[in-house]
Amino acid sequence: MRRIGSAAAVLALLVAAGPALAATEFYQSVDRAEVGTEDTFALTVVVSNAPDGAELRLPRGDGFEVLSKSQSTQMSYSFGSGGGSMQRMQKHTLVLRANQPGTLTIPPSVLKSDDGTLQTDALTVKVVAGNVQPDPPPRRGGMGRPPPGNAQGAPQQPGNLPDPFAGLLQGLAGMDDLQRQLQEQLAQQQEELEAEDAAIPRGDSDLFIRASLSRDDVYVGEQINYTLHIYSRLDLSSVDAVIMPKLEGFWSEDLDTPTQLSSDTKTVNGVPYRVFLLRRRALFPVTAGTLTIEPASADITTGFLFQGRRVQRKSQELTLKVKPLPAGAPAGMAPGNVGQWRLTAQAAEGQVELGQPITVRLVLEGRGNLKNVGVPPLVGPAELKIYEPTLTDTPAGKGKMGGRRVLEYLVLPQNTGTFTLPSVAFPYFDPESQRYEVSRTPPLTFTVVPGAGGPAPAAGAPTAGLPPDPGPRNVLSAGGLRPLRVAAALVPPSPPLHGARWYAWALAAPLALLALVLAGAAWSNRSRDVDAGTLRKQQARAARKRLAAAERLVSGKAETFYAEVERALLAFLESRLGEPVQGLTRGPLEQKLRAAGAKDALVAAVAQVLDTCEMGRFAPGAVSGSREKLLDQAEAAMEGWS
Amino acid sequence: MTGAALLVLTLLSQAPAYYSPQEAQAVFAEGTQAWARQDVAGARAAWERLVSRGHSSQEVLYNAGTAALAAGDVGAAVLYLERALRAGGETEDIEANLAVARSRQLDQVVGAGLERGFAQRLASATDARLCGWFALVGTWGACLLFALARLRAGRTRSVALALGALGLLLALPACALVATHAWVDRTVREGVVMAATVPVRELPQVGARVAFELHAGLKLRLLDDKEGFVRVKLPNGLEGWAAREGIEPL
Repeated sequence: MRRIGSAAAVLALLVAAGPALAATEFYQSVDRAEVGTEDTFALTVVVSNAPDGAELRLPRGDGFEVLSKSQSTQMSYSFGSGGGSMQRMQKHTLVLRANQPGTLTIPPSVLKSDDGTLQTDALTVKVVAGNVQPDPPPRRGGMGRPPPGNAQGAPQQPGNLPDPFAGLLQGLAGMDDLQRQLQEQLAQQQEELEAEDAAIPRGDSDLFIRASLSRDDVYVGEQINYTLHIYSRLDLSSVDAVIMPKLEGFWSEDLDTPTQLSSDTKTVNGVPYRVFLLRRRALFPVTAGTLTIEPASADITTGFLFQGRRVQRKSQELTLKVKPLPAGAPAGMAPGNVGQWRLTAQAAEGQVELGQPITVRLVLEGRGNLKNVGVPPLVGPAELKIYEPTLTDTPAGKGKMGGRRVLEYLVLPQNTGTFTLPSVAFPYFDPESQRYEVSRTPPLTFTVVPGAGGPAPAAGAPTAGLPPDPGPRNVLSAGGLRPLRVAAALVPPSPPLHGARWYAWALAAPLALLALVLAGAAWSNRSRDVDAGTLRKQQARAARKRLAAAERLVSGKAETFYAEVERALLAFLESRLGEPVQGLTRGPLEQKLRAAGAKDALVAAVAQVLDTCEMGRFAPGAVSGSREKLLDQAEAAMEGWS
Repeated sequence: MTGAALLVLTLLSQAPAYYSPQEAQAVFAEGTQAWARQDVAGARAAWERLVSRGHSSQEVLYNAGTAALAAGDVGAAVLYLERALRAGGETEDIEANLAVARSRQLDQVVGAGLERGFAQRLASATDARLCGWFALVGTWGACLLFALARLRAGRTRSVALALGALGLLLALPACALVATHAWVDRTVREGVVMAATVPVRELPQVGARVAFELHAGLKLRLLDDKEGFVRVKLPNGLEGWAAREGIEPL
């Protein structure tokens, strides 16, 4: 209660005293006597104890551009012997930029009131072309290279302050991750600081797009971050149709693409802006030389509802210098192996049973383009069959490049014994140290034993208490290449017989001979048929001769004559019929004659001659006709056939 | 005289030297030892040297093809293994390695019928030289027996006739097999794509449109040869003209 009462008493005293307002004070000043056309400078107009209703008119002119305005008010009380007095001071700060080199005259500010008009002095500022403000500190933050002399390679903090934790972090084993996180945070801070360097474009100072690179002098394959920001002092409604540059000559990875507009407040050359992140990409140059990144553009809608206005803004063009990787690359160096990497191997060394697979993991982790690095394959002795690995990439996280690649190999021992998987070397170029490094895994040694899956226990051996049979360990599956042939005749294969010219003749000869023999036999059979006809003719001719010879017996013994005539006729008939007719009776003989085509008259003539001959042989006296007539009848019978 | 001797020496120096049997065995063993050292390139070089010097037995061709396959050269692997098949007939190991080589080919012929016709498979499954001798001996024997039957009579004649008929019955299929071999040799020309990529054009001209593309290891038929191009035919009937240097005849 007492304290409250004391304060109230003081306030009452002040009010009762009636503080007097001090005299009006009005002046203006600039913070720089010499500026560049690319620089900004502050004009401060101060009004103290301005009369009520006074109107302040700030300077205007064509020689400069007002980038921003701000106002602050201070009130103070002072107590003196004459009583208290109150001072009210208004400070107006304008951020200006000169339009052209020369001498810039800033007109006076004017304060109008009922008591009269006050004005400040005009100010003169020397303007030169370009920029006279001191250069910002070098852009070598967490992503950059340590300054010469920093042997530890610790990241340089903003403002070139020494890192008090660098030695501690490097002295502690297992703190690499923490150190890396700190470096990345510093890199992020450095990148944010780059916003301070963004030049405000002339004419679009309220709303513009700025593209920036984390570094502009890099090696091939080294990571740089490309960031696209909107700087605005207006209210943004939406951003559409963001057209990114083609990024030719770069391997590009998206780091951050915000789906909603969110801003931070930053001051650029003394002008406060709301900064919206539009895109952030990681770029990895793939070719050396001076590369140019074309401007990006976006359609931006400012204001809300019916007062919205759609404008297009373009960023500036960027240029960076890309250096080739230095000479002297170690063996097995892949072009994409750039960054800070560490290769380790993980496997359970020691004893393993035959047929049990061994899992060997090669783990590559670090910073750089994880998708473009080439990890050498795991190789080993032929006794260890190494299958194709499974690959797992784990990116470092949103907004970061690098990460962890795990190559998981399945190694299957083929034989028992002790085998060693040799060291795997991963060469890479470290842009920070500017030299090639090689990260090696230690060799891995395994002892393969037959294990429980070996020979079956002998019959009758006790099996109680033994673990269940794990089954065969040495699985012999078919497949792969068949083994070589270890012995060779080394005699070229003989050409086939059918290729030789003599072979066709030799093969055709017996067949032709056989055909010839068969043809000869056929011809012979045919010849035999021809001879039979001739023979019959000869026999008929002989029979006629025999009949002619019988004429000489006309005057001889009757028995002999008739027998000769009968034999001549029968011989003739045999020649005609082609079969013997001796001994045939008349009936069968006549049938054969008719079957042979003889007419009835001829058959009758033959029968009459034979009957006469038979009668003449056995009863010569009973023959009525003469012998000459019989000869004529026999000859007529023979002639009747022809 | 001196000029003739110089000519002979020049010809001999330009011709590939022929290994003696002992030298050839040494080179073969050199390849085997290189293979044992896992020096696939050395083993392949030794066996290919034997092939180039005329010692192209089935064993050498098989080993050269297997080494080429291990080295990843599918075209050479198929070529040597196919030649090994032709040199000594089908064997299980050649077929197995040939299947591995074909599985590594880039080309897959879609809609292909039988890769080889009946006559080709018949010729591949039989020994041409054995068939040739069998046909020759069979026909001569049959004819002699028929001649004997004509000269003799009675039981000897019957036995000779029966044996002659039997010999002729066996000789005739052998003659048919010989004819099959001769027909396949004369009409079926095959080759293997050796180049990594061989464009097949619609016409035997360099600027002609490329109809399709072949890759190492594919076996195909060679139909015609004209102006540095060969007309090729795939098992599914696709045809075109390919540059001769990209294809090696079997």
